[in-house]
Amino acid sequence: MKRNSEAREAPINAGMPDSELICPGRSGANWPEGGRAMINRRLPKALRLAACGLAGVFAAISPVLVFATEATESVPLEENEANPLTLLIPNPGEFIPMLVGFIVLWVLLAKFAWPTITGMLDKRVETIKGSLEQAENAKTESERLLAEHKAQLDEAKKQSAQIIADAKTAAELVRAEITAKAQEEAQAMLAKASAAIEAEKKAAIAELQGSVASLSVAVAGRVIGTQLSEAEHRSIIERYLVEAGSFDAN
Amino acid sequence: MPTDRTQTRKASEVYAEVLLQAAQGPDAILALSEQLGQALGTIVGSIELRAALSDASLPAEARQQIAAEVFAGFDAALLAWLGVLIERGDLGLLPRINEAYLYAAEEALGAVIIDVTTVVPLDDQLRQQLKQKYAAQLGGEVILREHIDDSIVGGIVMSTHGRRIDASIVSQLQNARATLTQQQAG
Repeated sequence: MKRNSEAREAPINAGMPDSELICPGRSGANWPEGGRAMINRRLPKALRLAACGLAGVFAAISPVLVFATEATESVPLEENEANPLTLLIPNPGEFIPMLVGFIVLWVLLAKFAWPTITGMLDKRVETIKGSLEQAENAKTESERLLAEHKAQLDEAKKQSAQIIADAKTAAELVRAEITAKAQEEAQAMLAKASAAIEAEKKAAIAELQGSVASLSVAVAGRVIGTQLSEAEHRSIIERYLVEAGSFDAN
Repeated sequence: MPTDRTQTRKASEVYAEVLLQAAQGPDAILALSEQLGQALGTIVGSIELRAALSDASLPAEARQQIAAEVFAGFDAALLAWLGVLIERGDLGLLPRINEAYLYAAEEALGAVIIDVTTVVPLDDQLRQQLKQKYAAQLGGEVILREHIDDSIVGGIVMSTHGRRIDASIVSQLQNARATLTQQQAG
């Protein structure tokens, strides 16, 4: 009666969330890796409930069938105890109903669930293949883009280095030009200043000489005017009169 | 058709002739000539006086009064003649009138007038030498208008009809100064 109680206590996904519902009696060992989890994730909820319901019905009616069989074809306990090997031989009263239920379940599942499940799995496989291909393509594209970007980055680095070098060269040229121009202007200013100083020096000397000459002439005139007597004036007039030219010559 | 210059010359000659007729005798002619030259120098040398005598807003009598006060001591005929000149607004003709009067006076006197400037008065010997020298050059008798001016320092300055002989010491000193300055500058 132990197997009967185990059968009655068979789990029917009680207390599990919908996402963890698993059909009893199916381990999924022959399916692709992760197939069961995939079914649980991808099968429609109604379909899963239907499959599980059928399994539950079968499990529920199995003890009844067993009980009925036991009631009609029960073997005396004394016989079992006398021959232990009878425990290894399936009891037709239990075996046949269970086989019938299994066949019925198998037929139902094969008729309704498996085509859908396999179709969805095939579809999912195709989707995964497509995704993998897309991922592969994306990876290839990303690698290509990465290589391209690296190349562009290297080119940009080269260009920036060239630009910096050109800028440095241009700046150096400009600096040299500005320096040369400043030196040239400084030389010109120095020359101009020297010329101005020389001109002012000459002008000052000329002015000084003119002042000296004017002062000398003024002193001479003052001396002549005060020192000459009337007779000397007349003597000078007479001499100038002799030396003076005619009105026509002036 | 007479031009402005011709009219000016004719007007100047008329004024000069009138003034010459006012002079009585050779000495008066020379005296008026000298006073006319002085008046001309005063008017040309003073902007204020020239402006006052030419100011049409002032009555002619007032301008004549100004001239009489400025040229007090001048010949009465010359002052009257100058008053007419001021009244008619022809004071600007004075330089030409002076020149025309000099020609007219020379013609009236039959001689050439030479202005002579010295520091000391000429003696008769110098006057005679001057007259003899320039009578031959100018082709006629020479009359000297003598002036004393200390600014020439010494020597003699002679001028007639715009021509000038400068044999003064001051001019020679100026020439010497110019020569010295040029040589030193060079």
